[in-house]
Amino acid sequence: MKKGLYCMLAWTGIKRNRRLYLPYILTCIGMVMMCYIISFLTAFPGFETMRGWGTMKTTLSLGFNVMCIFSLIFLFYTNSFLVRRRKKEFGLYNILGLGKKNLALVLLVETLMIYAIVISGGFAFGVLFSKLAELCVTYILGGSAGFTFAVDFASLYKTAGLFAVIFALIFLNTLRQIQLANPIELIKSEDVGEKPPRANWILAAAGAVVLGAAYYIAIRIEDPLSAITYFFLAVIMVIAATYVLFVAGSVAVCRLMQKNKEYYYKTSHFISVSSMAYRMKRNGAGLASICILCTMVLVMISSTVCLYAGAEDGLKNMYTRDINITGAAAGIEGLNADNRQKITDMVGRIAAENGAEEENTVDYRTAATAACISDGKLMLEDLVYAQDIKNISKAWQLFVIPVSDYNSMLGTNETLADDEAMIYATKGVSFDQNKIDIGGNEFTVVKTAEGFEDKGADTMQAIPSLYVFVNDFEAVVDALEQKAAETGISTSIGWYYKFDLGCSDDVQIQIYNQIVEAIQQTAEGEGEALHILVSSRANERMDFYGTYGGLLFLGVILGLVFVSATVLIIYYKQISEGYEDQKRFDIMQKVGMTKEEIKKSINSQVLTVFFAPLVMAGVHLAFAFPMVRKMLLLFGMANTELLTAVTAVCFLVFALFYAAVYRTTSRSYFSIVSGMRYEN
Amino acid sequence: MSILEVDAVKKIYTTRFGGNQVVALSNVNFRVEEGEYVAIMGESGSGKTTLLNIIAAFDKPTAGNVRLDGRELSNLKESEMAAFRRDNLGFVFQEFNLLDTFTLEDNIYLPMVLSGKSTAEMSKRMSFIAKQLGITELLKKYSYEVSGGQKQRAAVARALITEPKLILADEPTGSLDSKSTDELLELFSAINCDGQTILMVTHSVKAASHAGRVLFIKDGEVYHQLYRGESTGIEFYQKISDTLTMLTAGGDKR
Repeated sequence: MKKGLYCMLAWTGIKRNRRLYLPYILTCIGMVMMCYIISFLTAFPGFETMRGWGTMKTTLSLGFNVMCIFSLIFLFYTNSFLVRRRKKEFGLYNILGLGKKNLALVLLVETLMIYAIVISGGFAFGVLFSKLAELCVTYILGGSAGFTFAVDFASLYKTAGLFAVIFALIFLNTLRQIQLANPIELIKSEDVGEKPPRANWILAAAGAVVLGAAYYIAIRIEDPLSAITYFFLAVIMVIAATYVLFVAGSVAVCRLMQKNKEYYYKTSHFISVSSMAYRMKRNGAGLASICILCTMVLVMISSTVCLYAGAEDGLKNMYTRDINITGAAAGIEGLNADNRQKITDMVGRIAAENGAEEENTVDYRTAATAACISDGKLMLEDLVYAQDIKNISKAWQLFVIPVSDYNSMLGTNETLADDEAMIYATKGVSFDQNKIDIGGNEFTVVKTAEGFEDKGADTMQAIPSLYVFVNDFEAVVDALEQKAAETGISTSIGWYYKFDLGCSDDVQIQIYNQIVEAIQQTAEGEGEALHILVSSRANERMDFYGTYGGLLFLGVILGLVFVSATVLIIYYKQISEGYEDQKRFDIMQKVGMTKEEIKKSINSQVLTVFFAPLVMAGVHLAFAFPMVRKMLLLFGMANTELLTAVTAVCFLVFALFYAAVYRTTSRSYFSIVSGMRYEN
Repeated sequence: MSILEVDAVKKIYTTRFGGNQVVALSNVNFRVEEGEYVAIMGESGSGKTTLLNIIAAFDKPTAGNVRLDGRELSNLKESEMAAFRRDNLGFVFQEFNLLDTFTLEDNIYLPMVLSGKSTAEMSKRMSFIAKQLGITELLKKYSYEVSGGQKQRAAVARALITEPKLILADEPTGSLDSKSTDELLELFSAINCDGQTILMVTHSVKAASHAGRVLFIKDGEVYHQLYRGESTGIEFYQKISDTLTMLTAGGDKR
């Protein structure tokens, strides 16, 4: 009998508060579903044989951890909101004679009910959509999918366990809140008089300064990898500044507006400005969270979409030909014609055996070093100077190449004297000196080459490359090596031999494997003066799509989760605002405002409150853009137009979605606000 | 000249389901002259608040009409209503109804801002009223920082600042302690002496005894009325008290 009562109380508690609980339950279901799907995918045996799965699996497991942490934090946050709204109800139960122990039991039954709904719902959808996710992954990895339908019980247990822990923690937290309060407090908790927000000018100013500084760093970072500490510093500064600005800055702005009497005492500003200060004080942190979530979603989706869309580009940038052979030599001797001939002969033979022919061949020797060029002089001593972020604009990758190789590759007939050089600079940077000094050998720049390889080694660096074509290659290499002995800055001497094959990916991979094997045999037999590395674009393609596809998949899934979190925060904000504004709405009408005036005023406030985070996220995104671009460069993604377009489209789609959410939730808001006495 | 004319006002509420009808006001007739101070008394459920809501145009009568300063309220459109209310009526409520997001000063300014008055005019009016009500020191405070009596004085100031034709007070002493009640009633008497017309709904015999005339409502109509005439406060108090006793005892006066 008594048990029945608890169940009944719990069930009516959920049902009566369905306006609050329904979105909460839906989000929980969504999270359970996502967790199951990710876990299911990482454990799916069908992928094991697919190329690129290894990298994707790592990415997905990482994603699962992110999901766990995020679910915990987020569900805690929303639940505290639910409890705050229901304190009055709990207080009433308490006064009516339900002891705290009984109340705890009711809550326990409620939690169990919600858990049951969430888990069964989440699993139903999870199992249903896991097939879809499986097909997506198979498509991304370029495999062929089977028609079997599998349920992974280990993943079910794992997810159920995870959420059992989360719900238990939430339940304990609710108990703590209820235990601490006495019934009168519980009943009154909703209408405690609120102190007026005081403008904290120092904090507001500090927030603005920190944000400015973070933006400055974000723009100035040239190489995100070497400046990784700066990068994280910038991210943390932006997050901190966003919170401070939303909490303190907004109130300060409102106070500033109130000081201007002529502006403030106008019908259209009077109510809005003063209530905005309160709204921002209450919601600042929530809005800042929305803003940061939005920024995260936007950065994540736009960069992963861009990576995936530009995967083929990136592949071509990193692997400029179908087969790329790089030879690294210890000294100039290793690069002699014999050594090179041996390799080209062997490769030619293997290609011919497979019925393929070498095309678009690239074949050149080079001595490469990082350098800082100042007044036409190579500052090898000052590499440390070049690595400093301030001087990064003077840093170059330097490639010295014999002009004979240039001629044979491009079919030209350039002749240079020993003290003359021809140059070619990449990334649209121009080298505007007419003399260049390389380790004591001075060259007069006589010509700028019309073109050379500006992909491959160049693409993966943020700094530009300078190709210097000389007649006496060996003299320069000697000079560089001598310099290297003094300064400890190494010069790498190597040989590039790359070509396309006009055959299918499968044959290319076969040729690649044979070349690797042959080179291994020679190396074992004769030792190697020239250390050979081979890569095949066809072979790398699978790994590329594995990684980028995995990132995209995860980006979209996490994006969805973050977006639904944002939606839920917005929804709860609207509702709590609605309850708080109800009384004010009533008073304002009594002192002579029309419904339209009130509606207009509230609308403008709510609009400001909800679109401020979106606008701020847009600004963040704009300032993050250069950094994202440079990071994608490391992945060989150099297509800035694509990135710009993808980012813009992502922002637009997101803004539309946000507006739609705002519209639907504001309807609930108005229905709460106008549920009052003088309703016509 | 009558500032307020209430003629044969009838209000019938229909319950939401089932269509049960509840008669809140059956037939109310009275007039308030300019400069009068009228109290309306009656038990809970006698229809006092319904009447006040109809006079304030928050609610529409089922039959009959209300004229304020010669204008028929039911002819006003919804859009004109708010401005009309703002310019002609001042409200004082039991619950003060001050906005907690405003300082007292801004609360008092509210109706003037809504009417689009200039800041110069506003502050001129404010300094006059604040001095009259003795709240000059409190203007920068928020409602939660001051006592109930002070809140109610700010609410009175808000009602007076637009120089309304009629002040409507709904149980203005209902949430106040006895000292604040005395102060508020003296304040009402004082502003009435300055020529302000006041219509007050109240339970309190003491509050009613400050008025110039008391209307008694029972079962949705004006049942009886008393004029203060030449009687002292205590005498009038006694008269009202006797009348109430008679009303509740169910004496069939008619």
